[in-house]
Amino acid sequence: MNVTTSRVLLKRQLLAGGKRRAIKEPFRCFSCSARQFQQPPSPKSSQDAPGTTHFGFETIAEALKEQKVKTVFSSVASSYDTMNDLMSLGIHRLWKDHFVRNLNPGRNPLTSSSASPSEQGWNILDIAGGTGDIAFRMLDHASTINNDAHTKVTVADINPEMLAEGRKRALETPYARTPRLDFVEANAEKLDMIPDASIDLYTVAFGIRNFTHKDVALREAYRVLKPGGVFACLEFSKVNSSLFDAVYKRWSFSAIPLIGQLVAGDRDSYQYLVESIERFPSQTEFRDMIKDAGFLVPGQGWEDMTGGIAAIHKGVKPL
Amino acid sequence: MPPTHISNAAFKTLRASSRCSTAAAQRCLYHSYERPASPPFPPAESAILSSALSHVPSYGFTSDALKLGARDAGYLDASTNLLPRGVFDLVSYHLVTQRLALRDSVQFPSHSEQGAGKILGVGAKAIAIMAQPTYVPASFAELARLADEIWFLAGDTSVDTSWYTKRASLSAIYSAAEVFMTQDTSKDFVETEQFFDARLEDAIKVGGFLGSLGEWVSYTGHSAVNVLRSKGVRI
Repeated sequence: MNVTTSRVLLKRQLLAGGKRRAIKEPFRCFSCSARQFQQPPSPKSSQDAPGTTHFGFETIAEALKEQKVKTVFSSVASSYDTMNDLMSLGIHRLWKDHFVRNLNPGRNPLTSSSASPSEQGWNILDIAGGTGDIAFRMLDHASTINNDAHTKVTVADINPEMLAEGRKRALETPYARTPRLDFVEANAEKLDMIPDASIDLYTVAFGIRNFTHKDVALREAYRVLKPGGVFACLEFSKVNSSLFDAVYKRWSFSAIPLIGQLVAGDRDSYQYLVESIERFPSQTEFRDMIKDAGFLVPGQGWEDMTGGIAAIHKGVKPL
Repeated sequence: MPPTHISNAAFKTLRASSRCSTAAAQRCLYHSYERPASPPFPPAESAILSSALSHVPSYGFTSDALKLGARDAGYLDASTNLLPRGVFDLVSYHLVTQRLALRDSVQFPSHSEQGAGKILGVGAKAIAIMAQPTYVPASFAELARLADEIWFLAGDTSVDTSWYTKRASLSAIYSAAEVFMTQDTSKDFVETEQFFDARLEDAIKVGGFLGSLGEWVSYTGHSAVNVLRSKGVRI
Protein backbone atom coordinates (compact mmCIF):
# COMPACT_ATOMS: atom_id res chain seq x y z
CA MET A 1 0.00 0.00 0.00
CA ASN A 2 2.74 2.41 1.05
CA VAL A 3 4.84 1.38 -1.93
CA THR A 4 1.97 2.03 -4.33
CA THR A 5 1.15 5.44 -2.87
CA SER A 6 4.78 6.52 -2.93
CA ARG A 7 5.08 5.29 -6.53
CA VAL A 8 1.97 7.20 -7.52
CA LEU A 9 3.21 10.31 -5.74
CA LEU A 10 6.56 10.14 -7.50
CA LYS A 11 4.94 9.50 -10.85
CA ARG A 12 2.82 12.60 -10.27
CA GLN A 13 5.97 14.47 -9.35
CA LEU A 14 7.58 13.44 -12.62
CA LEU A 15 4.50 14.38 -14.61
CA ALA A 16 4.22 17.67 -12.71
CA GLY A 17 7.81 18.37 -13.70
CA GLY A 18 6.75 17.74 -17.27
CA LYS A 19 3.80 20.10 -16.93
CA ARG A 20 6.11 22.78 -15.59
CA ARG A 21 8.20 22.34 -18.73
CA ALA A 22 5.01 22.49 -20.77
CA ILE A 23 4.12 25.86 -19.30
CA LYS A 24 7.38 27.34 -20.60
CA GLU A 25 6.92 25.76 -24.05
CA PRO A 26 3.20 25.58 -24.65
CA PHE A 27 3.01 22.49 -26.85
CA ARG A 28 4.70 19.11 -27.04
CA CYS A 29 6.36 18.89 -30.38
CA PHE A 30 8.95 16.92 -32.28
CA SER A 31 11.58 19.58 -31.90
CA CYS A 32 11.06 20.71 -28.32
CA SER A 33 13.28 17.94 -26.97
CA ALA A 34 15.80 18.83 -29.64
CA ARG A 35 15.61 22.47 -28.55
CA GLN A 36 16.20 21.40 -24.99
CA PHE A 37 19.25 19.48 -26.13
CA GLN A 38 20.62 22.41 -28.12
CA GLN A 39 20.50 24.65 -25.05
CA PRO A 40 23.00 22.45 -23.30
CA PRO A 41 22.66 21.76 -19.59
CA SER A 42 25.11 22.98 -16.94
CA PRO A 43 28.63 22.09 -18.12
CA LYS A 44 29.28 18.39 -17.85
CA SER A 45 31.48 18.43 -14.79
CA SER A 46 31.96 15.87 -12.13
CA GLN A 47 31.92 18.70 -9.60
CA ASP A 48 28.24 18.61 -8.66
CA ALA A 49 27.31 20.10 -5.32
CA PRO A 50 28.09 17.57 -2.59
CA GLY A 51 25.26 15.12 -2.00
CA THR A 52 23.76 15.65 -5.45
CA THR A 53 24.03 13.63 -8.60
CA HIS A 54 22.68 13.81 -12.11
CA PHE A 55 19.37 12.31 -13.22
CA GLY A 56 19.51 12.80 -16.96
CA PHE A 57 20.18 16.51 -17.32
CA GLU A 58 18.65 17.38 -13.93
CA THR A 59 20.65 17.61 -10.74
CA ILE A 60 18.96 15.95 -7.81
CA ALA A 61 19.82 14.80 -4.31
CA GLU A 62 21.65 11.47 -4.31
CA ALA A 63 19.12 9.84 -2.05
CA LEU A 64 16.40 10.52 -4.59
CA LYS A 65 18.09 9.04 -7.65
CA GLU A 66 17.48 5.41 -6.72
CA GLN A 67 13.78 5.99 -6.23
CA LYS A 68 13.46 8.00 -9.43
CA VAL A 69 15.23 5.30 -11.44
CA LYS A 70 12.89 2.71 -9.93
CA THR A 71 9.94 4.81 -11.03
CA VAL A 72 11.26 5.15 -14.57
CA PHE A 73 11.64 1.42 -14.96
CA SER A 74 8.32 0.64 -13.32
CA SER A 75 6.65 2.63 -16.00
CA VAL A 76 8.61 1.11 -18.89
CA ALA A 77 8.65 -2.51 -17.69
CA SER A 78 5.75 -3.85 -19.69
CA SER A 79 6.69 -2.29 -23.00
CA TYR A 80 10.45 -2.60 -22.47
CA ASP A 81 11.09 -4.88 -25.43
CA THR A 82 8.91 -2.96 -27.87
CA MET A 83 10.60 0.25 -26.89
CA ASN A 84 14.07 -1.24 -27.26
CA ASP A 85 13.19 -2.51 -30.72
CA LEU A 86 11.85 0.85 -31.79
CA MET A 87 14.70 2.86 -30.35
CA SER A 88 17.54 0.77 -31.72
CA LEU A 89 15.67 -0.54 -34.78
CA GLY A 90 16.09 -4.07 -33.48
CA ILE A 91 19.88 -3.87 -33.32
CA HIS A 92 19.90 -4.32 -29.54
CA ARG A 93 19.25 -8.03 -30.15
CA LEU A 94 22.44 -8.26 -32.21
CA TRP A 95 24.39 -6.43 -29.54
CA LYS A 96 23.16 -8.76 -26.81
CA ASP A 97 23.83 -11.86 -28.93
CA HIS A 98 27.37 -10.72 -29.65
CA PHE A 99 27.89 -9.85 -25.97
CA VAL A 100 26.97 -13.36 -24.86
CA ARG A 101 28.83 -15.21 -27.63
CA ASN A 102 31.95 -13.20 -27.04
CA LEU A 103 31.93 -14.14 -23.34
CA ASN A 104 31.36 -17.80 -24.20
CA PRO A 105 29.85 -18.95 -20.90
CA GLY A 106 29.79 -22.61 -20.00
CA ARG A 107 32.26 -25.32 -19.18
CA ASN A 108 32.45 -28.13 -21.70
CA PRO A 109 32.38 -31.44 -19.80
CA LEU A 110 34.43 -33.12 -22.52
CA THR A 111 37.45 -30.91 -22.02
CA SER A 112 37.34 -30.83 -18.28
CA SER A 113 38.64 -33.62 -16.14
CA SER A 114 36.28 -34.87 -13.46
CA ALA A 115 35.60 -31.69 -11.58
CA SER A 116 33.95 -31.48 -8.19
CA PRO A 117 30.25 -30.53 -8.34
CA SER A 118 31.01 -27.03 -7.11
CA GLU A 119 33.37 -26.45 -10.05
CA GLN A 120 31.00 -27.72 -12.71
CA GLY A 121 29.42 -24.93 -14.65
CA TRP A 122 29.76 -21.20 -14.20
CA ASN A 123 28.15 -19.08 -11.55
CA ILE A 124 26.90 -15.99 -13.39
CA LEU A 125 25.47 -12.85 -11.82
CA ASP A 126 23.42 -10.63 -14.11
CA ILE A 127 22.85 -7.19 -12.63
CA ALA A 128 20.01 -4.89 -13.70
CA GLY A 129 18.87 -7.74 -15.89
CA GLY A 130 15.28 -7.75 -14.74
CA THR A 131 13.55 -8.94 -17.88
CA GLY A 132 16.08 -11.73 -18.33
CA ASP A 133 17.33 -10.90 -21.84
CA ILE A 134 20.95 -11.63 -21.04
CA ALA A 135 20.26 -14.41 -18.53
CA PHE A 136 18.29 -16.56 -20.97
CA ARG A 137 20.89 -16.04 -23.68
CA MET A 138 23.66 -17.09 -21.28
CA LEU A 139 21.85 -20.23 -20.24
CA ASP A 140 21.03 -21.16 -23.84
CA HIS A 141 24.62 -20.62 -24.93
CA ALA A 142 26.00 -22.70 -22.07
CA SER A 143 23.54 -25.51 -22.67
CA THR A 144 23.61 -25.71 -26.46
CA ILE A 145 27.09 -24.54 -27.48
CA ASN A 146 29.11 -25.83 -24.54
CA ASN A 147 26.89 -28.73 -23.50
CA ASP A 148 26.97 -27.49 -19.95
CA ALA A 149 23.95 -28.35 -17.83
CA HIS A 150 25.28 -26.87 -14.60
CA THR A 151 25.87 -23.19 -15.30
CA LYS A 152 23.55 -21.05 -13.22
CA VAL A 153 22.50 -17.43 -13.51
CA THR A 154 21.29 -15.16 -10.72
CA VAL A 155 19.34 -12.18 -12.02
CA ALA A 156 19.45 -9.17 -9.72
CA ASP A 157 17.43 -6.01 -10.25
CA ILE A 158 16.43 -3.07 -8.11
CA ASN A 159 12.93 -2.98 -9.57
CA PRO A 160 10.38 -5.64 -8.61
CA GLU A 161 8.26 -5.04 -11.72
CA MET A 162 11.15 -5.79 -14.05
CA LEU A 163 11.84 -8.96 -12.02
CA ALA A 164 8.18 -9.98 -12.26
CA GLU A 165 8.38 -9.51 -16.02
CA GLY A 166 11.52 -11.66 -16.03
CA ARG A 167 9.87 -14.42 -14.00
CA LYS A 168 6.95 -14.40 -16.42
CA ARG A 169 9.24 -14.79 -19.41
CA ALA A 170 11.26 -17.49 -17.67
CA LEU A 171 8.17 -19.71 -17.67
CA GLU A 172 8.59 -20.11 -21.42
CA THR A 173 12.19 -21.31 -21.07
CA PRO A 174 13.27 -24.72 -19.77
CA TYR A 175 14.98 -23.06 -16.81
CA ALA A 176 11.97 -21.66 -15.00
CA ARG A 177 11.79 -23.82 -11.88
CA THR A 178 15.30 -25.19 -11.89
CA PRO A 179 18.20 -24.20 -9.63
CA ARG A 180 19.85 -22.80 -12.78
CA LEU A 181 17.87 -19.54 -12.71
CA ASP A 182 17.24 -17.34 -9.72
CA PHE A 183 15.71 -13.85 -9.40
CA VAL A 184 16.68 -11.61 -6.52
CA GLU A 185 15.83 -7.99 -5.74
CA ALA A 186 19.05 -6.17 -4.97
CA ASN A 187 20.86 -2.89 -5.34
CA ALA A 188 24.12 -3.31 -7.24
CA GLU A 189 25.91 -1.12 -4.73
CA LYS A 190 25.02 -3.47 -1.88
CA LEU A 191 25.01 -7.15 -2.79
CA ASP A 192 24.94 -8.57 0.72
CA MET A 193 23.26 -11.81 -0.30
CA ILE A 194 26.15 -12.70 -2.64
CA PRO A 195 29.20 -14.10 -0.80
CA ASP A 196 32.75 -12.88 -1.56
CA ALA A 197 34.64 -14.50 -4.44
CA SER A 198 31.75 -16.68 -5.56
CA ILE A 199 30.95 -15.43 -9.07
CA ASP A 200 32.67 -16.44 -12.33
CA LEU A 201 31.01 -13.82 -14.51
CA TYR A 202 29.35 -10.53 -13.52
CA THR A 203 27.37 -8.93 -16.33
CA VAL A 204 25.45 -5.69 -16.53
CA ALA A 205 23.70 -4.81 -19.78
CA PHE A 206 22.29 -1.29 -20.23
CA GLY A 207 22.01 -0.86 -16.48
CA ILE A 208 25.15 0.76 -15.18
CA ARG A 209 24.32 4.25 -16.43
CA ASN A 210 21.41 4.25 -13.96
CA PHE A 211 23.53 3.53 -10.90
CA THR A 212 23.94 6.36 -8.44
CA HIS A 213 27.55 5.47 -7.65
CA LYS A 214 29.21 3.53 -10.43
CA ASP A 215 32.49 3.21 -8.56
CA VAL A 216 30.76 1.61 -5.57
CA ALA A 217 29.08 -0.86 -7.92
CA LEU A 218 32.45 -1.63 -9.51
CA ARG A 219 33.98 -2.29 -6.11
CA GLU A 220 31.06 -4.56 -5.19
CA ALA A 221 31.63 -6.41 -8.47
CA TYR A 222 35.30 -6.79 -7.54
CA ARG A 223 34.32 -8.20 -4.16
CA VAL A 224 31.88 -10.84 -5.40
CA LEU A 225 34.02 -12.05 -8.30
CA LYS A 226 36.39 -15.00 -7.91
CA PRO A 227 40.06 -14.30 -8.71
CA GLY A 228 40.22 -14.62 -12.49
CA GLY A 229 36.52 -13.78 -12.78
CA VAL A 230 35.21 -11.45 -15.46
CA PHE A 231 33.29 -8.18 -15.21
CA ALA A 232 31.46 -7.44 -18.46
CA CYS A 233 29.38 -4.38 -19.18
CA LEU A 234 27.31 -3.60 -22.30
CA GLU A 235 26.30 0.05 -22.34
CA PHE A 236 25.57 2.98 -24.57
CA SER A 237 28.68 5.02 -25.22
CA LYS A 238 30.14 7.84 -27.26
CA VAL A 239 29.95 7.62 -31.03
CA ASN A 240 33.32 7.79 -32.80
CA SER A 241 32.61 9.82 -35.90
CA SER A 242 31.37 13.38 -35.36
CA LEU A 243 29.22 13.32 -38.50
CA PHE A 244 27.41 10.17 -37.43
CA ASP A 245 27.22 11.62 -33.92
CA ALA A 246 25.23 14.64 -35.13
CA VAL A 247 22.69 12.37 -36.84
CA TYR A 248 22.54 10.06 -33.82
CA LYS A 249 21.97 12.89 -31.34
CA ARG A 250 19.22 14.30 -33.55
CA TRP A 251 17.53 10.90 -33.60
CA SER A 252 17.94 10.32 -29.84
CA PHE A 253 16.65 13.62 -28.61
CA SER A 254 13.92 14.14 -31.17
CA ALA A 255 12.52 10.76 -32.07
CA ILE A 256 12.90 8.64 -28.97
CA PRO A 257 10.87 10.68 -26.49
CA LEU A 258 8.24 11.11 -29.19
CA ILE A 259 8.09 7.34 -29.75
CA GLY A 260 7.85 6.90 -25.98
CA GLN A 261 4.91 9.27 -25.90
CA LEU A 262 3.12 7.58 -28.78
CA VAL A 263 3.81 3.94 -27.94
CA ALA A 264 4.05 3.84 -24.16
CA GLY A 265 2.36 7.10 -23.24
CA ASP A 266 5.36 8.12 -21.18
CA ARG A 267 7.54 10.81 -22.65
CA ASP A 268 9.43 11.66 -19.49
CA SER A 269 10.90 8.22 -18.91
CA TYR A 270 12.32 8.15 -22.40
CA GLN A 271 13.58 11.68 -22.08
CA TYR A 272 15.41 10.49 -18.98
CA LEU A 273 16.80 7.51 -20.89
CA VAL A 274 18.36 9.57 -23.68
CA GLU A 275 19.71 12.13 -21.21
CA SER A 276 21.31 9.41 -19.10
CA ILE A 277 23.00 8.05 -22.24
CA GLU A 278 24.40 11.50 -22.93
CA ARG A 279 25.71 11.77 -19.37
CA PHE A 280 27.49 8.42 -19.32
CA PRO A 281 31.32 8.67 -19.40
CA SER A 282 33.22 7.98 -22.61
CA GLN A 283 34.87 4.68 -23.41
CA THR A 284 38.30 5.70 -22.12
CA GLU A 285 36.91 7.27 -18.94
CA PHE A 286 34.89 4.20 -18.10
CA ARG A 287 37.83 1.93 -18.88
CA ASP A 288 39.89 3.93 -16.40
CA MET A 289 37.15 3.59 -13.77
CA ILE A 290 37.23 -0.18 -14.26
CA LYS A 291 41.02 -0.19 -13.87
CA ASP A 292 40.76 1.95 -10.74
CA ALA A 293 38.50 -0.66 -9.18
CA GLY A 294 41.40 -3.12 -9.52
CA PHE A 295 40.51 -5.02 -12.68
CA LEU A 296 42.90 -6.03 -15.46
CA VAL A 297 41.68 -4.89 -18.80
CA PRO A 298 42.02 -6.89 -22.07
CA GLY A 299 43.58 -5.05 -25.02
CA GLN A 300 42.34 -1.47 -25.16
CA GLY A 301 39.60 -2.30 -22.71
CA TRP A 302 36.44 -1.98 -24.76
CA GLU A 303 34.86 -3.01 -28.03
CA ASP A 304 32.68 -0.58 -29.99
CA MET A 305 29.42 -1.69 -31.54
CA THR A 306 27.72 0.06 -34.44
CA GLY A 307 30.24 2.86 -34.59
CA GLY A 308 30.32 3.47 -30.84
CA ILE A 309 26.61 3.68 -30.09
CA ALA A 310 27.13 0.84 -27.64
CA ALA A 311 30.33 -0.57 -26.19
CA ILE A 312 31.33 -3.73 -24.34
CA HIS A 313 33.74 -3.13 -21.47
CA LYS A 314 35.50 -6.05 -19.82
CA GLY A 315 37.68 -6.46 -16.77
CA VAL A 316 39.30 -9.50 -15.20
CA LYS A 317 39.99 -9.74 -11.48
CA PRO A 318 43.67 -10.53 -10.94
CA LEU A 319 44.74 -13.58 -8.93
CA MET B 1 84.46 30.51 -14.12
CA PRO B 2 80.95 31.50 -15.30
CA PRO B 3 81.58 30.42 -18.93
CA THR B 4 82.69 26.93 -17.79
CA HIS B 5 79.64 26.59 -15.61
CA ILE B 6 77.38 27.62 -18.44
CA SER B 7 79.03 25.27 -20.88
CA ASN B 8 78.82 22.44 -18.34
CA ALA B 9 75.16 23.11 -17.78
CA ALA B 10 74.51 23.30 -21.52
CA PHE B 11 76.41 20.08 -22.05
CA LYS B 12 74.42 18.38 -19.31
CA THR B 13 71.08 19.48 -20.75
CA LEU B 14 72.15 18.38 -24.19
CA ARG B 15 73.18 15.00 -22.92
CA ALA B 16 70.00 14.62 -20.89
CA SER B 17 67.80 15.49 -23.83
CA SER B 18 69.60 13.22 -26.25
CA ARG B 19 69.54 10.26 -23.92
CA CYS B 20 66.18 8.66 -23.39
CA SER B 21 65.47 8.49 -19.68
CA THR B 22 63.97 5.26 -18.40
CA ALA B 23 60.70 6.98 -17.66
CA ALA B 24 60.37 8.14 -21.26
CA ALA B 25 61.89 4.94 -22.63
CA GLN B 26 58.57 3.87 -24.11
CA ARG B 27 58.58 6.87 -26.44
CA CYS B 28 62.01 6.11 -27.94
CA LEU B 29 61.87 4.95 -31.52
CA TYR B 30 65.09 2.96 -31.25
CA HIS B 31 67.16 1.38 -28.54
CA SER B 32 70.62 -0.04 -28.01
CA TYR B 33 71.05 -3.66 -29.11
CA GLU B 34 72.12 -4.59 -25.60
CA ARG B 35 68.91 -3.31 -24.06
CA PRO B 36 66.81 -6.28 -22.86
CA ALA B 37 63.54 -6.49 -24.74
CA SER B 38 60.44 -5.68 -22.70
CA PRO B 39 58.06 -8.65 -22.45
CA PRO B 40 55.74 -8.61 -25.47
CA PHE B 41 52.61 -9.47 -23.51
CA PRO B 42 51.37 -8.31 -20.09
CA PRO B 43 52.11 -10.74 -17.21
CA ALA B 44 48.62 -12.21 -16.77
CA GLU B 45 48.20 -12.86 -20.50
CA SER B 46 51.71 -14.32 -20.72
CA ALA B 47 50.91 -16.74 -17.90
CA ILE B 48 47.73 -17.99 -19.56
CA LEU B 49 49.22 -18.18 -23.07
CA SER B 50 52.43 -19.94 -22.06
CA SER B 51 50.54 -22.69 -20.26
CA ALA B 52 48.04 -22.87 -23.14
CA LEU B 53 50.93 -23.48 -25.57
CA SER B 54 51.75 -26.70 -23.76
CA HIS B 55 48.27 -28.01 -24.68
CA VAL B 56 48.56 -27.07 -28.35
CA PRO B 57 50.15 -30.37 -29.47
CA SER B 58 47.07 -32.29 -28.24
CA TYR B 59 44.27 -29.75 -28.81
CA GLY B 60 45.65 -27.54 -31.58
CA PHE B 61 45.20 -23.79 -31.62
CA THR B 62 41.68 -23.90 -30.21
CA SER B 63 39.75 -22.30 -27.39
CA ASP B 64 39.93 -25.64 -25.54
CA ALA B 65 43.71 -25.24 -25.36
CA LEU B 66 43.19 -21.69 -24.06
CA LYS B 67 40.75 -22.77 -21.38
CA LEU B 68 42.97 -25.62 -20.21
CA GLY B 69 45.92 -23.24 -20.15
CA ALA B 70 43.94 -20.74 -18.08
CA ARG B 71 43.05 -23.45 -15.59
CA ASP B 72 46.67 -24.60 -15.35
CA ALA B 73 47.82 -21.07 -14.66
CA GLY B 74 45.37 -20.83 -11.76
CA TYR B 75 42.74 -18.76 -13.58
CA LEU B 76 39.15 -19.60 -14.47
CA ASP B 77 37.69 -20.59 -17.84
CA ALA B 78 36.16 -17.14 -17.94
CA SER B 79 39.64 -15.57 -17.75
CA THR B 80 40.20 -16.36 -21.42
CA ASN B 81 38.21 -13.16 -21.96
CA LEU B 82 41.45 -11.39 -21.08
CA LEU B 83 42.60 -12.22 -24.63
CA PRO B 84 40.64 -9.91 -26.93
CA ARG B 85 41.46 -11.84 -30.10
CA GLY B 86 41.00 -15.33 -28.72
CA VAL B 87 42.98 -18.07 -30.47
CA PHE B 88 44.77 -15.54 -32.66
CA ASP B 89 46.48 -14.26 -29.50
CA LEU B 90 47.73 -17.79 -28.88
CA VAL B 91 49.16 -18.05 -32.42
CA SER B 92 50.66 -14.58 -32.10
CA TYR B 93 52.25 -15.45 -28.75
CA HIS B 94 53.83 -18.54 -30.29
CA LEU B 95 55.21 -16.58 -33.24
CA VAL B 96 56.52 -13.72 -31.12
CA THR B 97 58.26 -15.94 -28.56
CA GLN B 98 59.86 -17.99 -31.32
CA ARG B 99 61.04 -14.84 -33.10
CA LEU B 100 62.56 -13.41 -29.93
CA ALA B 101 64.26 -16.75 -29.31
CA LEU B 102 65.89 -16.66 -32.75
CA ARG B 103 68.81 -14.62 -31.57
CA ASP B 104 69.70 -17.33 -29.07
CA SER B 105 69.43 -20.19 -31.53
CA VAL B 106 71.16 -18.63 -34.53
CA GLN B 107 74.26 -20.30 -35.85
CA PHE B 108 76.83 -18.22 -37.68
CA PRO B 109 77.73 -19.71 -41.08
CA SER B 110 80.11 -17.86 -43.34
CA HIS B 111 77.51 -17.15 -45.99
CA SER B 112 73.77 -16.43 -46.40
CA GLU B 113 70.99 -16.61 -43.83
CA GLN B 114 70.30 -20.29 -44.45
CA GLY B 115 71.49 -21.20 -40.98
CA ALA B 116 69.33 -18.68 -39.17
CA GLY B 117 66.89 -21.18 -37.75
CA LYS B 118 64.43 -23.56 -39.28
CA ILE B 119 60.90 -22.99 -40.53
CA LEU B 120 58.48 -22.96 -37.60
CA GLY B 121 55.86 -25.21 -39.09
CA VAL B 122 52.85 -23.72 -37.34
CA GLY B 123 50.46 -25.97 -39.19
CA ALA B 124 47.41 -25.49 -41.38
CA LYS B 125 45.07 -24.52 -38.53
CA ALA B 126 47.26 -21.65 -37.39
CA ILE B 127 47.64 -20.41 -40.97
CA ALA B 128 43.87 -20.53 -41.34
CA ILE B 129 43.44 -18.47 -38.15
CA MET B 130 45.97 -15.93 -39.37
CA ALA B 131 44.28 -15.68 -42.75
CA GLN B 132 40.97 -14.48 -41.29
CA PRO B 133 40.38 -10.96 -42.66
CA THR B 134 40.29 -9.31 -39.21
CA TYR B 135 43.71 -10.69 -38.39
CA VAL B 136 45.43 -10.36 -41.77
CA PRO B 137 47.05 -6.96 -40.99
CA ALA B 138 48.43 -8.25 -37.69
CA SER B 139 49.69 -11.44 -39.38
CA PHE B 140 51.42 -9.47 -42.13
CA ALA B 141 53.07 -7.25 -39.54
CA GLU B 142 54.35 -10.26 -37.64
CA LEU B 143 55.69 -11.80 -40.88
CA ALA B 144 57.48 -8.56 -41.71
CA ARG B 145 59.04 -8.45 -38.25
CA LEU B 146 60.20 -12.03 -38.63
CA ALA B 147 61.81 -11.35 -42.02
CA ASP B 148 63.49 -8.27 -40.56
CA GLU B 149 64.81 -10.27 -37.60
CA ILE B 150 66.20 -13.00 -39.88
CA TRP B 151 67.96 -10.54 -42.18
CA PHE B 152 69.33 -8.61 -39.21
CA LEU B 153 70.73 -11.74 -37.57
CA ALA B 154 72.26 -12.72 -40.93
CA GLY B 155 74.20 -9.46 -40.83
CA ASP B 156 72.41 -7.35 -43.39
CA THR B 157 73.63 -3.74 -43.43
CA SER B 158 71.95 -2.41 -46.57
CA VAL B 159 70.67 1.17 -46.46
CA ASP B 160 68.94 1.53 -49.86
CA THR B 161 65.75 0.20 -51.40
CA SER B 162 67.22 -3.29 -51.34
CA TRP B 163 66.42 -3.22 -47.59
CA TYR B 164 62.75 -3.39 -48.55
CA THR B 165 63.09 -5.77 -51.49
CA LYS B 166 65.14 -8.25 -49.45
CA ARG B 167 62.58 -8.37 -46.66
CA ALA B 168 59.66 -8.56 -49.08
CA SER B 169 61.18 -11.48 -50.96
CA LEU B 170 62.10 -13.32 -47.75
CA SER B 171 58.55 -12.83 -46.39
CA ALA B 172 57.11 -14.30 -49.57
CA ILE B 173 59.49 -17.26 -49.58
CA TYR B 174 59.01 -17.96 -45.86
CA SER B 175 55.23 -17.97 -46.05
CA ALA B 176 55.37 -20.23 -49.14
CA ALA B 177 57.60 -22.63 -47.21
CA GLU B 178 55.18 -22.63 -44.25
CA VAL B 179 52.29 -23.52 -46.52
CA PHE B 180 54.41 -26.22 -48.24
CA MET B 181 55.25 -27.67 -44.84
CA THR B 182 51.59 -28.33 -44.03
CA GLN B 183 51.56 -30.89 -46.85
CA ASP B 184 55.03 -32.28 -46.31
CA THR B 185 55.20 -35.91 -45.24
CA SER B 186 58.93 -36.54 -45.59
CA LYS B 187 61.14 -37.47 -42.64
CA ASP B 188 62.27 -34.42 -40.66
CA PHE B 189 60.72 -32.19 -43.28
CA VAL B 190 63.76 -32.43 -45.56
CA GLU B 191 61.58 -31.64 -48.57
CA THR B 192 60.56 -28.33 -46.98
CA GLU B 193 64.20 -27.42 -46.46
CA GLN B 194 64.97 -28.29 -50.06
CA PHE B 195 61.96 -26.22 -51.17
CA PHE B 196 63.17 -23.28 -49.10
CA ASP B 197 66.71 -23.52 -50.45
CA ALA B 198 65.46 -23.81 -54.01
CA ARG B 199 63.28 -20.69 -53.61
CA LEU B 200 66.20 -18.75 -52.19
CA GLU B 201 68.33 -19.79 -55.17
CA ASP B 202 65.50 -18.68 -57.47
CA ALA B 203 65.34 -15.32 -55.75
CA ILE B 204 69.06 -14.80 -56.18
CA LYS B 205 68.90 -15.91 -59.82
CA VAL B 206 65.89 -13.76 -60.64
CA GLY B 207 67.48 -10.78 -58.93
CA GLY B 208 70.65 -11.33 -60.90
CA PHE B 209 68.71 -11.74 -64.15
CA LEU B 210 66.68 -8.58 -63.62
CA GLY B 211 69.82 -6.64 -62.83
CA SER B 212 71.52 -7.87 -66.02
CA LEU B 213 68.39 -7.23 -68.08
CA GLY B 214 68.24 -3.70 -66.78
CA GLU B 215 71.87 -3.14 -67.69
CA TRP B 216 71.36 -4.60 -71.19
CA VAL B 217 68.29 -2.47 -71.88
CA SER B 218 70.08 0.65 -70.66
CA TYR B 219 73.17 -0.10 -72.80
CA THR B 220 71.17 -0.92 -75.91
CA GLY B 221 68.99 2.14 -75.48
CA HIS B 222 71.92 4.50 -75.04
CA SER B 223 73.71 2.91 -77.99
CA ALA B 224 70.67 3.27 -80.25
CA VAL B 225 70.24 6.92 -79.31
CA ASN B 226 73.91 7.63 -79.94
CA VAL B 227 73.83 5.91 -83.37
CA LEU B 228 70.80 7.93 -84.38
CA ARG B 229 72.48 11.13 -83.24
CA SER B 230 75.52 10.24 -85.36
CA LYS B 231 73.17 9.95 -88.36
CA GLY B 232 71.96 13.49 -87.79
CA VAL B 233 68.65 12.84 -86.02
CA ARG B 234 68.06 15.53 -83.44
CA ILE B 235 67.43 13.60 -80.22
